[in-house]
Amino acid sequence: MRKFYSTTAAFRIALEAIRANKSRGILTTLGIVIGIVAVVTTMTAANGLGNRFKESVSALGSDVLYVSRRPWVFSGNFFQFRNRQNLQMREAQKLNTGLKNALAINPTTNTNKNVKYLSKTLEAINIIGTTEKHMVVSSSVPESGRFLTGFDIQSKKRVCVIGSEIKENLFGDIEPINKKMKLGRYTYRVVGVMEEQGSAGFFGGPNFDRQIFVPITSFMSSFGSHNRDFNIAVKAAPGVVLADFEYEVIGEMRKIRKLKPTEEDDFSINQMNQLVGAYNNVMGVIVIIGLVITGISLFVGGIGVMNIMFVSVTERTKEIGVRKAIGAKRKSILTQFLFESSTICLIGGVFGIVLSFGITALINKLVMPATISLPIVFVALLVSVLTGIFSGFIPAFKASKLNPTEALRYE
Amino acid sequence: MALNIQNISKKYVMGIEEVHALKDVSLKIDNNEYVAIMGPSGSGKSTMMNILGCLDIPTTGTYHLEDEDVSEMDDDQLADVRNRKIGFVFQTFNLIPRADVFHNVELPLIYGNIVPQKRKVMTDEAIEKVGLTDRAHHKPNELSGGQRQRVAIARALVNNPAIIFADEPTGNLDSVTGREIMGILDGLHRAGNTIILVTHEKEIAEHAHRIIWLRDGLIESDTVTQRAAATMEIVNN
Repeated sequence: MRKFYSTTAAFRIALEAIRANKSRGILTTLGIVIGIVAVVTTMTAANGLGNRFKESVSALGSDVLYVSRRPWVFSGNFFQFRNRQNLQMREAQKLNTGLKNALAINPTTNTNKNVKYLSKTLEAINIIGTTEKHMVVSSSVPESGRFLTGFDIQSKKRVCVIGSEIKENLFGDIEPINKKMKLGRYTYRVVGVMEEQGSAGFFGGPNFDRQIFVPITSFMSSFGSHNRDFNIAVKAAPGVVLADFEYEVIGEMRKIRKLKPTEEDDFSINQMNQLVGAYNNVMGVIVIIGLVITGISLFVGGIGVMNIMFVSVTERTKEIGVRKAIGAKRKSILTQFLFESSTICLIGGVFGIVLSFGITALINKLVMPATISLPIVFVALLVSVLTGIFSGFIPAFKASKLNPTEALRYE
Repeated sequence: MALNIQNISKKYVMGIEEVHALKDVSLKIDNNEYVAIMGPSGSGKSTMMNILGCLDIPTTGTYHLEDEDVSEMDDDQLADVRNRKIGFVFQTFNLIPRADVFHNVELPLIYGNIVPQKRKVMTDEAIEKVGLTDRAHHKPNELSGGQRQRVAIARALVNNPAIIFADEPTGNLDSVTGREIMGILDGLHRAGNTIILVTHEKEIAEHAHRIIWLRDGLIESDTVTQRAAATMEIVNN
């Protein structure tokens, strides 16, 4: 079979047919428009949430391992981790001397305290005792002022660096640098404000903008060192494969903990990707549910198109007979009606995308940052054309099978 | 030889009854003949037309159109033969209402996979032959009945078919316009085309040179018209 008659001619014929029944075409298209808007908005919202999450957890650093008592993400029995020993400060020091491929090691510990500036109080704020190495292992930087220095740590300075949300909620328009604030019962001087990370808190993840850094030494003298559980962030030296590094860290920790080869690890190695993975798992399910629900509206739109195509085929039985009489093959008739249904759906898709841009702009303004990406536009157009082919196929097939003599007799 | 049918019969099943629309009919038509097929309704006229026009295939018998045996072709092969060798002119014009004159006439060339540049030349030529060049971009509903039938004729001859079938071409036209249309068909015959006319009007049939009269699925008579006799006399003298 030689190539089907020219695409431009087929497209022209489809447009002619749609134009001949404008109001019917618009109504039919409406179903597809709504379906595409629903699908595109769902994907855009999911994308927006995902980007926001990834942006905020990126502060953890993709080449940093976090040694902790418990894994960040786990399934199964919580109690298997409960009886593990706390990680201790001296274990961090031993790890520091033992590891050969570490660029930096940063022990941290944390507690929740009410914080206060003048008469304003914020409840249960995450206070993190850390070292100047935080700047090496984390990608976050101060927006104003400075971060903690080695000198602050060594001399147990009561200084703190606050997250952007703390600044906003506690200080408002007041410049917080060098102001004195209360962390629990202790007075600390603000020396820096961290850049905004964007909150991953909506997903139950950590909120990096709602925390306060203090020197780990001052932390322990203020809030006590007894029974504290530490986290140890270790960053691999440049060029070291993270998996190899993880192996080294595990080995070193087992040595420090004096574990026998038969014993299981009594500590956990965490990294950013675990959070991303957990997010993707949960979000993946939500997105699939969302797409199924919105897909139903697209499906209903598709049925509307199918219905109209059946009407169209019946109305034009005689025309099909004429076309066959002058030499249209089955494939030509099939393609003609498929072009018509695809064009209806493509027009619906284009309008749907235009409308989605409007809705996304609104979401962007009112709810959260969201943008329609080019792949989403491409997928939406593809889906609308596929909907057209899907809903046009049975009517088109029926048309292509018509017997020319009977079709010509049809009135 | 334009076409040659041998011992053709056609049976239909209508409910539980079998209808023999054509019973063992044989017929030859030469190139550049002008033939009218006549007969009362139920005579097998339409069936004959459908089979000769390759819209349908006979139950038994063979049909050679030029050098091709079309009696056992499938739907798509028949469509291809119709596209290359046959032009149809219908009583009700059967134009595509949404397409203008040019695109109606062009349609057989599109189905014949002719390249666009060549399509344009051939379409313009066919429209010119029926004298509608100034109406090429009008829609059918902007044309008179006679003009619509001329568009249909242009569409029938655009791909230079071996045979032009005209099924009651004047049935929906007043007598003046009907004569005008018959004038065009006569002209096409003089230009060398083979024309088969299906009609029940004696006056229209007289334009042809040979009249085949069908009755009850059989050829009752096959006669040369006075007009043909006159033409032959001119040739002989």
